[in-house]
Amino acid sequence: MTSGTITADTARSRRSLLFPSVVSGLVLGVAGGLLAAFAVSRFASGDRALDQVVVAGYAGWTLCFFIGVGAFHHPVRWGFGRAEPTHREERELAGEGQGAWRYFRFTTDHKVIGIQYLITVLVLFLVGGLAAALIRLEQSQPGARFLPPSTYNTVVGVHGIIMIAATIIMISGPFGNFIVPIAIGARDMAFPRLNALSYWLLFAAIPVFLSTFALGGFDTGWTGYAPLADQAPAGMDAYAFTIVLFGISVAIAAVNIITTVVTLRAPGMRWSRLPVFVWGIMLSVLLGMIAFPSFMLAEVMVLCDRVAGTSFFVSAFGGSQWLYEQLFWFMGHPEVYVIALPSLAVVVEMVSVFSRKPVFAYRTVVGGMIGIALVGCIVWAHHLYTSGANTPFDGPFMLTTELISVPTGVVFLVAIGTLWRGKIWLTVPMLFGIGALVNFIIGGVTGLYLADVPTDEVFHGGMFVAAHFHFTLVGGMVFGFFGACYYWFPKMFGRRLNETLGRWHFWLFEIGFYGVFLPLFYAGLHGEPRWLAYIPPKFAGANLIASMFFGLLIAGVSVFGYNIVSSWRSGPVAAANEWGGNSLEWTVPSPVPLENFETLPVVTASPYDYGGEASGPEVTGPSGPVTAPATEA
Amino acid sequence: MTQRPGSGRSDHHLRNVLVWWVVLSVLAEIGWLVAGPLLMPAAASSDAVFANTTIVVFTALAIPVALFVWVFMAYSLIRFRVKSRPSEAGPHLVASNGQQIAWLGITGALCLFLVIWGLFGMYQASTDPPGRPLIVDVTAQQWTWTFRYPSAGVSSNQLVLPVGRPVEFEVTSLDVVHGFDVHAFSVRLDANPGSVIATNIVTPTRLGSFSVRCVELCGLYHAYMWAPVKVVSDQDFAAWLRDAAQGSRGGAGA
Repeated sequence: MTSGTITADTARSRRSLLFPSVVSGLVLGVAGGLLAAFAVSRFASGDRALDQVVVAGYAGWTLCFFIGVGAFHHPVRWGFGRAEPTHREERELAGEGQGAWRYFRFTTDHKVIGIQYLITVLVLFLVGGLAAALIRLEQSQPGARFLPPSTYNTVVGVHGIIMIAATIIMISGPFGNFIVPIAIGARDMAFPRLNALSYWLLFAAIPVFLSTFALGGFDTGWTGYAPLADQAPAGMDAYAFTIVLFGISVAIAAVNIITTVVTLRAPGMRWSRLPVFVWGIMLSVLLGMIAFPSFMLAEVMVLCDRVAGTSFFVSAFGGSQWLYEQLFWFMGHPEVYVIALPSLAVVVEMVSVFSRKPVFAYRTVVGGMIGIALVGCIVWAHHLYTSGANTPFDGPFMLTTELISVPTGVVFLVAIGTLWRGKIWLTVPMLFGIGALVNFIIGGVTGLYLADVPTDEVFHGGMFVAAHFHFTLVGGMVFGFFGACYYWFPKMFGRRLNETLGRWHFWLFEIGFYGVFLPLFYAGLHGEPRWLAYIPPKFAGANLIASMFFGLLIAGVSVFGYNIVSSWRSGPVAAANEWGGNSLEWTVPSPVPLENFETLPVVTASPYDYGGEASGPEVTGPSGPVTAPATEA
Repeated sequence: MTQRPGSGRSDHHLRNVLVWWVVLSVLAEIGWLVAGPLLMPAAASSDAVFANTTIVVFTALAIPVALFVWVFMAYSLIRFRVKSRPSEAGPHLVASNGQQIAWLGITGALCLFLVIWGLFGMYQASTDPPGRPLIVDVTAQQWTWTFRYPSAGVSSNQLVLPVGRPVEFEVTSLDVVHGFDVHAFSVRLDANPGSVIATNIVTPTRLGSFSVRCVELCGLYHAYMWAPVKVVSDQDFAAWLRDAAQGSRGGAGA
C-alpha cells in the first residue's frame, strides 16, 4: 500500500465522520419520530389517540435513529450482495484513527463500547440518584410538603426503573465489554456489530424514558403493575417502550458475551482456568437472557392494552392482574441475581488478587454461581405470597427461596478462606470489595424474613422490603461496582484514581448508607408502607434521620465523580499491571491497543495459582503473567 | 516450602479467631434477646405474636452466622494486612472437601430449619379457631376502604372489631390492585379486581386503635389510603353495630 492511498483513505473517513454518528442519529431519529407521530395522529381517535401517537413516535424515533447512527449500513450492504468489508474497513469501523469521536459513533471496538457503557451507567446513576434525593426530601417531613403526589409517584418510578436498569448493566456493560474479551485472550467480541447495537439500543431507550416527564409521568412505581398501568397517563407508554428496547439490548449483549466466552478463549484457557469474573458475567447474562423476555412480553401486552384496547390485564374482560405479576416477577427475581453474580464475581476476583492467594475453592464458587443461576429461576413467586394468586406455590417457593442462600453462602466461605493468612493489600478496590461482603450479609439476613410466609405478611409492600433490597443491591452490588471501577480504571484509562479520595468515597458512602437504611428497617418493621408521598407522623423520626444521612451519600458520590474526572484528566500514569494480578488483562499495555494482543497468548496456568508449586515463576516476581507467546500466528 | 511452622501459626490464629467469634456471638445473642423483643411492633393477634417471635428467632439464628464471616474477615484484615504492595504470595491454601461439605451442610440445615418453621407458621395460621368467625367484606377502591358486615347489614369507613372473636376478611377491589394490610394483626392480602379472596382467620387479642393501610402502589393518592381500626369489647361492638345499622337505615331514609 502506498502512502498516497493512505492519505486518500484518511480524508474519506474524515468526511464521513458526521454521517453516520450520534449527531445524524439524533437528527434523523427526532425527525422520524415526529413524522411517525404526525402521520398516526391523522388517523388516531378516541381516548387511546394520545397513546397511539406516542408509541408511533417512539417507533419512528428508534428506527430512524438506527438508520442515522449507521447501524444498518453493513447489514444492508451485505444483503445487497456487495463485497465483504476488508480488514481495513473493519478496523475503521472499530474506530481506528478517529480519536475521541469514535465514542460518538457506531463503533465496534469492545473497549470503546465498554467505556460508552461506563459513562452511560454513571449518568444513569446520577439521574436515579437525583430522583432518590427528591424521595428523601419529600419523606423528610410528614405531609406532602415538597412534591405533589403525582410528581412523587413518578419520581419513585423513575428512580426505581433507572436504578434497576443501571445496576443490571453496571458491570456486564462496562467491564463485561472492556475486560472480558481481554481476560479470555480474544481480540474482540464474537459479534462486534451486535455489540455496538446493544449499546445504542440502550442509548436510544434513554430519551424515550425521559419523555415520560412530558407525558404526565406514570404512577405505578418501577413494578408497573397492571391494571393500574392500563389507566396510567401517557407517560406509561414511555416506561413500557423503554423496557422493550432495553430488553432487546440486554438479549443481544447476552448472546454476544456468551458466544464470545464459549468460542473465543485463547489456547489453553480451559474452563477451569477461566477467571471467576468471566464466569460471573457469563452466568449473569445467561440468566438475564432467560428472565428478561417475560418482562418484555408483559410490557408488550401493556402496550397492546393501552394502544389497541386489548384486555390482557382487565379482569372485567377476562384478563388478569396475576398474569402481569407472574410475568413481571419471573423477570423480577432472577434479575437481582443478574445484578448479584457479576458483582460477587468481581469481589472474589479482587479478594484473591489482593490477598495474593488462590481462590479458596474455585470449583465450588463456580458451582455456587451456577447454582444461583439455576435456583434463581424458580424463586419468583415469593413476591406473590400475599397476592391472593397461588397458595399452592407458597411452600415450594419458600423452600427454593431459603435454599438459594446455600449457593450464595459459598461466596462467603471462599472470601474468608481466601483472606485467611494472605498478604492482604487493602487498596481502595479491595476496601469496596470487603464492604460489599459485609453489607451483603445484612441484605441476605433481612431477606430470610421476607422469604418466610408468616413474616412476609408483616413486611410485604413495606419499607422493610425497600431497605432490604437496597442493602443487597446498593450495599452489596453497587459496592462491588465501585470496587470494579477502582480496580479496572487504570486498565481502561491508563491512569490511577486518587487513593485518598477513594477512601473518602468509601467511608462517606458506607456510613451514609447505614444511616439511611437502618432507620428505614425500623420504620418498616413498625408498618410504614412503601411508596408514600405522605409520611404518617408515626414514622417521621426514622425518615428524617434517613434523609439527613442522605447528605453523606451525596458527598461520597461527589468525591467519586471529582476523582474520576480529575484522575482521567491528570492522574498519574498507571502501570500495565497496576495491582499484580495474573489474569490476561494485566499482560497487555494500558491503554490497550486496538486488537488487544499482537500475538494471541497461550495460557498455561490458572490466574489464581499464587504460591502453587506447579507455578513457581509467577509468584516470585511482582507481576509474572501466566502466559507465554504463541509459537505461530 | 515451610508448611509445618506455617500451619502451627495458623492454629494459633484459628484459636484466636474462634474465641473472638464465640465471645462476640454470646454477647450479641444476649443483647438481642434483651433488646430484640423491645424493638418489635405492637402485636394485636396471635398471628402477629407468632410473626414477632419468628423475627426474634431468625435474627438470633443469623447472628452467629453473620458474625462468623465478619469476625474472620476483621481478624484477617487486622492481622494479615501488609502496608504496601506485597512482593511475595501468600500460602497456597485451598479448601478441603471436609470444610466445604461442613459449610454447605450447616448453611443448608439452617435454611431447612427456616423453611420448616415457616411451613409450621403457615399451617398454624390456616387452621381455623373454634367458633363461627365474624365475616367482614373489605372493598378497596381508589383511594378508600369500605367495610361491610353482612350479618348486620352495616357498612362503614372504619373497621370496628370485637376483641377475642375470630374474624375473616373477604377482600376485593373495584378498580386496580390494592394491598389490604392490618399490620398489628399480621394480616395482609392484595385486593384484586374481579376476585373476592378470604384472608386467614385472625383473632384480635388487644383492645386499642390500629390502622388499615394500602401497601400496593395504587395510583395518585396511594399514600392517603388508610382507615382506622378499633378493637373494642363485645358490648361496645354490639352497641356500635346497632348505632351503625340505625345510622345507615336513617341515612338511606333521609
